[in-house]
Amino acid sequence: MMDLTQREWVKHAVTHPIEGFEDMRWKKSGSVKIAFLIVFLLFVAQIFDGRLYGFQFGVAYDKTFNIIPYIVKSVVLFAAWVIGNWSVCTLLDGEGTVKNICIYSAYALIPYIAQLFINVLLSHVLIRDEMVFMTAIQIIGVGWSVVLLFSAIKSVHQYSFGKTVFAIILTIVAMLIMLFLLVLFMSLIQQIWIFISTIYTEISYRLRV
Amino acid sequence: MKKVKKRAKLLPLIFSGALFCGAVLPLAASAGEPYDVYNYDRWGEAIPSQAGYIAEKSVSGYDLGIGPMDAPSDIFCDHEKNFYIVDSGNNRIIAVNSDFDQVIRVYDRFTMPDGSETTLKKPMGIYISAENDYMYIADNENSRVLISDKDGNVISEIKKPASEVYDQKRTFLPQRVVADKAGNVYVVLNNITTGAAMFSPDGEFTGFYGANRVQPTAEIVGNYIKNLFVSEEKKARKARNVPTGITSFDIDGDFIFTCTQSSTQTTDTVKKLNAAGNNIFANLELTFGDYTPMYDTSSNVVLQPAIVDIDIAEDGNINCLDYTTGRIFQYDEDCNLLFIVGTKAKQLGGFDSVAALESMGSNLYVVDSGKDTVTVFTETSFGEIVHEATAKYNAGYYEEALGPWYEVLKRDGNYRRAYIGVASALLRKGDYKGAMKYAKLADAPAIYNRAFEGYRMEFLKKNFAKMFAVVAALIVVLFVTGRKRKKKRLAEAAALAEQLARDEADRKKKEEG
Repeated sequence: MMDLTQREWVKHAVTHPIEGFEDMRWKKSGSVKIAFLIVFLLFVAQIFDGRLYGFQFGVAYDKTFNIIPYIVKSVVLFAAWVIGNWSVCTLLDGEGTVKNICIYSAYALIPYIAQLFINVLLSHVLIRDEMVFMTAIQIIGVGWSVVLLFSAIKSVHQYSFGKTVFAIILTIVAMLIMLFLLVLFMSLIQQIWIFISTIYTEISYRLRV
Repeated sequence: MKKVKKRAKLLPLIFSGALFCGAVLPLAASAGEPYDVYNYDRWGEAIPSQAGYIAEKSVSGYDLGIGPMDAPSDIFCDHEKNFYIVDSGNNRIIAVNSDFDQVIRVYDRFTMPDGSETTLKKPMGIYISAENDYMYIADNENSRVLISDKDGNVISEIKKPASEVYDQKRTFLPQRVVADKAGNVYVVLNNITTGAAMFSPDGEFTGFYGANRVQPTAEIVGNYIKNLFVSEEKKARKARNVPTGITSFDIDGDFIFTCTQSSTQTTDTVKKLNAAGNNIFANLELTFGDYTPMYDTSSNVVLQPAIVDIDIAEDGNINCLDYTTGRIFQYDEDCNLLFIVGTKAKQLGGFDSVAALESMGSNLYVVDSGKDTVTVFTETSFGEIVHEATAKYNAGYYEEALGPWYEVLKRDGNYRRAYIGVASALLRKGDYKGAMKYAKLADAPAIYNRAFEGYRMEFLKKNFAKMFAVVAALIVVLFVTGRKRKKKRLAEAAALAEQLARDEADRKKKEEG
């Protein structure tokens, strides 16, 4: 039973919110390649969402284009989620490896990404009065992804319902801590850099005189 | 601008034709301002623009032949198109003709009704009523408003009211005065924050009018919460939260426009008050003056715009005078920014410390109390076209405004209001595609939305048959392939079942055998 190809597994996981990931775990299936492709698609979808919306639904600031926020909103956010979840769940007797957390979480994002693409397309066909359709699609997409993500974490670590909720809250806290450390690190590096450059300028002036 | 200058120099050399000279010269003149003309784009960022006004001349007391002015503080143009300049330091009012080359009369003493003479002491404001031809003079240090006819005979004076509503501990120092059609007099007073004092035609104090609101900053909200727990005595000792008082005002028909100069307050800097004293601009998110406050590097402070005077032109445009930057910000009646004129500079067209502003026809008159001059700005041909277009647009004649808007775009491709004007006109005409194009250029999603709705409707009407055919064909194809697939799957399942049955039979045979 359940002899599916990798592509069929994606379909199976997304369309079976309760059982899908359990089945995947049982069959030890899931591909890192597909997971990375999904994250890349998320990155593309974020850019589309930010830049290519229909003009009637808002204007994108087009004097400059900065790609960093889009990378942060997709790749960095996803990486922080995976690392945060892994570091929390290894302490909470989770059975998931980084690879599996990465694969399962990525698969769970598919409805969200699909929703972004569909809405960008629709925004070029609909007018403001019909925005309710887009909102509905957005709510469905986000809700579906949340359910899938929950199910993914639950099955990858073999947790109970309550423990999954706990683990997800802790994961979010871990992500915030990472953010804090990152900011701290950046400012420290900046200080050091300023220190070094000051010394360099000082010495170079002395040498010239 | 540089390009224009070069062309102005070169062209007369190359082409001696009078036609070319005529076309180029006004452009060259507009390039002679001591500042870069700018405007704001949709994102609130400053972009270069064409000048709407140029400084024509600046007139001092010497030019008028009446000795130097000393800190003039107000100017008013009456219905006969004569100007009245309040020369505060010299305690006089100077009446000048509309060309500013002839003094009509200098008012320095007035005859009281009982025959005695009276002089002014640091007058600050003047207003001349078109109804009864009286002069209303805010005689600041004499603590009175003098109402006089044009021959200098005082009709009456308004002094500090004895009413209970007026706090008697406070002074009565009139700063600006206007009168409405019914003869009610409104007086802006120094250090009174509860609005302008209002007097009935017979000089009776009737209350205050149009007070500013307190801006809800974090500090004030915090104070409010703190005050809930503080005793009455402590509260009395604390500084109270009071709004900044009105600085100046102007009357236009039934509306009084006020402006407030404040370093801390950004709400209610410009208000449009109806007869009941309610601010019509209150709930609109409007900014007057520069979007980004000027940063003074020498004193390390951010200089907020300080609108010291306001003037409503005959065509309804609102002119605001900013003391901080020495600039005039001209808005149309819907508060869309049209032009920014002036700067802080020594040259003609620049100011030292601006005090008052007046308009007549298409000209602007700015009183500078530092330079002691009146600077006259005239409209450029670009300004004329913009004014024509905005007047038509605001009156609802979108299609009539289309021609002028195109002309504006020819001269300044950055002028955003022109794109909005063209988009609106094309939308009304039914040229949806063109409206979409211009709405996109104007960054106006709301107009684009309506244009797109029309465009989509037209598209559907034209292509409905084709689209219906395509969709129908697609459904048929899907249906057929779906059936084929189902058949195939059923056949496979049947084959599998047969195979299993055969296997089973074989197994049984073996067991039996």
